[in-house]
Amino acid sequence: MARYCYAMIDDTARPETVDSVEAVLRERLARDEATAGTIAPILRHLLANEDNSMFSDEIVARVRGMVGDVVRQLLNRQAGEGPGEPRGHSGQAISAMTDAVIGNSAFLGHVHALALEWQLTERLQQRLGLDPVLAPLLHALIASPEPGTAELAMRFLASQARFCQAQRRMRLPLTELPGDILHLTLIGMRTQAGGEAAVDEHAAMAEMAIRASYDEGGSRLGLLSRLVIGMGGGTVAALSVGHAGVAIFLSALAIAASQDRDLAALSTNEAQLGRFALLLRSAGLKIGAIEEQFFAIHPDIGVPEGLDRLSADRAAALLAIDASGPG
Amino acid sequence: MMASNGTSVRAVSDADDRLIAAEEPLAGLQLRCGGDLPGTIAVPALLETVRKSRHYRLKLARTLTAQDGTHAVSAWVEVEPRRDGEPGCEIMLRNWRSAPLPEEDPTEVASLHGEIDRQLAELTAQLDGSQRLLTVEAEAPDLIALGKAMEGGIGRPWTEFVTVEGSSHQQPLHWRLLDGVSVIVPGSQRSWRATLLPQQTHEDEPDGFELLLAAKEPLPQRVAEPALPARKEQLAPFRNIGREIAPVLRLPIARIIANAETIRTRLAGPLAREYADYAADIAAAGQHLLGLVDDLADLEVVEAEDFSTSPELVDLAEVARQAAGILGVRASEKNIAIEIAPGEEGFSAFAEFRRVLQIMLNLIGNAIRYSPESSRITIALADEGDHVQAVVTDEGSGIAPEDRARIFEKFERLGRSGDGGSGLGLYISRRLARAMGGELAVDGADGKGASFILDLPAFSAAERPDEFTNGKSLPRLPRIADLRPAANDLPAAGETDQD
Repeated sequence: MARYCYAMIDDTARPETVDSVEAVLRERLARDEATAGTIAPILRHLLANEDNSMFSDEIVARVRGMVGDVVRQLLNRQAGEGPGEPRGHSGQAISAMTDAVIGNSAFLGHVHALALEWQLTERLQQRLGLDPVLAPLLHALIASPEPGTAELAMRFLASQARFCQAQRRMRLPLTELPGDILHLTLIGMRTQAGGEAAVDEHAAMAEMAIRASYDEGGSRLGLLSRLVIGMGGGTVAALSVGHAGVAIFLSALAIAASQDRDLAALSTNEAQLGRFALLLRSAGLKIGAIEEQFFAIHPDIGVPEGLDRLSADRAAALLAIDASGPG
Repeated sequence: MMASNGTSVRAVSDADDRLIAAEEPLAGLQLRCGGDLPGTIAVPALLETVRKSRHYRLKLARTLTAQDGTHAVSAWVEVEPRRDGEPGCEIMLRNWRSAPLPEEDPTEVASLHGEIDRQLAELTAQLDGSQRLLTVEAEAPDLIALGKAMEGGIGRPWTEFVTVEGSSHQQPLHWRLLDGVSVIVPGSQRSWRATLLPQQTHEDEPDGFELLLAAKEPLPQRVAEPALPARKEQLAPFRNIGREIAPVLRLPIARIIANAETIRTRLAGPLAREYADYAADIAAAGQHLLGLVDDLADLEVVEAEDFSTSPELVDLAEVARQAAGILGVRASEKNIAIEIAPGEEGFSAFAEFRRVLQIMLNLIGNAIRYSPESSRITIALADEGDHVQAVVTDEGSGIAPEDRARIFEKFERLGRSGDGGSGLGLYISRRLARAMGGELAVDGADGKGASFILDLPAFSAAERPDEFTNGKSLPRLPRIADLRPAANDLPAAGETDQD
């Protein structure tokens, strides 16, 4: 018979008279029981969702790799070294810093979204021959007669090439994090400073240095937003994944639909078809254009029926309700 | 479209995120958004970015979108903490674009207004095609008088009950002229606006209207009191698990169990074994839930201050036999024999039959649950003069002496879990025994099975003690103990809860 029913009752009823060793062991056993009880649902979820790739082995491995890279950078900076230098840190320090970093859901969500973005980039390269760095639209932007646009496009090109390289190595430079997430990550780092005055001072100085050198506008995501904003009315061209490439497409989708880019990246997953359809609609795409995007990303799946009867405003409203509602 | 591509727009904010200097077109946007210069940044997206940059001490770069009522503006904004050490931020905007907002669809605007009015209305009424009242509902305290008056005047035009401001015409006027007028409500200090929403328009003339009265200002807070008593009434029943909640819960839970059993036994068709097993789990969990509901209801009853029983002549041997019969199927599943010492008759107790049965079911049920397979449970009866005794003995592992006091505590399960118990059964049984002037105790050598001893006053010796005659008897509702056998009759593999 299921165990979950009793945990609460037992907790409230533990009598004071019980020998303390027994009480401690009983508590530990209850915890172990709880952990053991989660095996089946988690395993079932992972097994059942192998197809849709949101928690595939590859994605989890990439997330773990990027988290490890961020942890290593934070520990290096805290120890007063350059961000790139490899250095051995104690297992305890790594595990404590990892806990601090992954305790932040926004950070985890962002890293997961990057892993999904890269997976989609690789898939489209295989299936459509879409260059992960130099998509047709970027070609056109680089060739733009307007020097500002061309320069920005070149900067993004370099940044995107670095991103591809980093993804292959499962790395994530601190400077590439969005400002809000970097801030929370640094707060997390502060909690791991340790207590020794010298260490704390190092940590504080490291934090100040990271903050001072950060430039969101120079990060890949910053350049992407600026590039898309700069296109103005031409944003529609960026809303075609086959033309714009995954990176520009996701930024354009996020901006046009006024949603977070990480959510836009998440929406390209097979398990998020409804969100994807609504985002595209909310971005103002006509049904034909939406079908094209579905065909490019999910060649086997059709557009949800009746989407053409939903106005862009209603689609945006539905997404807004989703964002403010529970869960 | 106005665009200032290439050129950048600069601005500076201070420690309180006030814009202290700004170039055009940002300065104009700030003013059109209702801000001052200098003054707190009035463009929400810009304020958020500036606030974060100052707080994080990070150079942030975001897209900025805003609108000033006529135009939608987008720009690329870079914000960084001032480098000269002053508190505040330097702001730079690029790619400024401004485009007129699209025209709003008038019918959509009208429907939105209707929605807003419905949300704000404190009086709603249905009117017929000639604006005569059909129904009325008033919520605000200062509208109660009006609501009453209107209820008494169903069938008359709504305009008879309020004063339409600035109009001395014969009322009611055409509804289009009345939609949106200010009205004075007798008995209310506030000024009101009337909205008429036409319904089912045929050939321009509506069949009826929805009348909404919305105040132009909210009611002062203190007047909200009269609504409270009604709320209390609503909440009170939730304290009454046994009488109100349990009957409501029992039916859907029984349905869950029955349906899960249908699946488990594959009555509706072939099914993979794993799914049948899941269904068995569902049924078992449902049985447990049902037992828990029953126990909680019982708990509430026995803990009530005015709890008492209705004692009568009860044959303890007969009760024991009935209880053993009810649980016989479950015992035989584990190949357990229940033996009642033969020839024992006439142990007459002065107690309430169903309560004694409930205790016996609990004791025998526990014995079955904690006995090894193919063992024996004996029920011995004894006449001790002024009281009679039933002793239920099993061949399980017994209760350690140090645990014997604890097992009668509420929710005490001696560290066991997952066997279907709630830890309430023995607590309830002892409360019931004591309420009838008896006692429930445990005995037995450690490791050699447990003996539960139920003592009840003998009928012959009963002096009809005060607590039996003075106490109020419980209303004869269909009770847990009566329903339990029914729950067991379900083709269930699980157990009900009686430890």
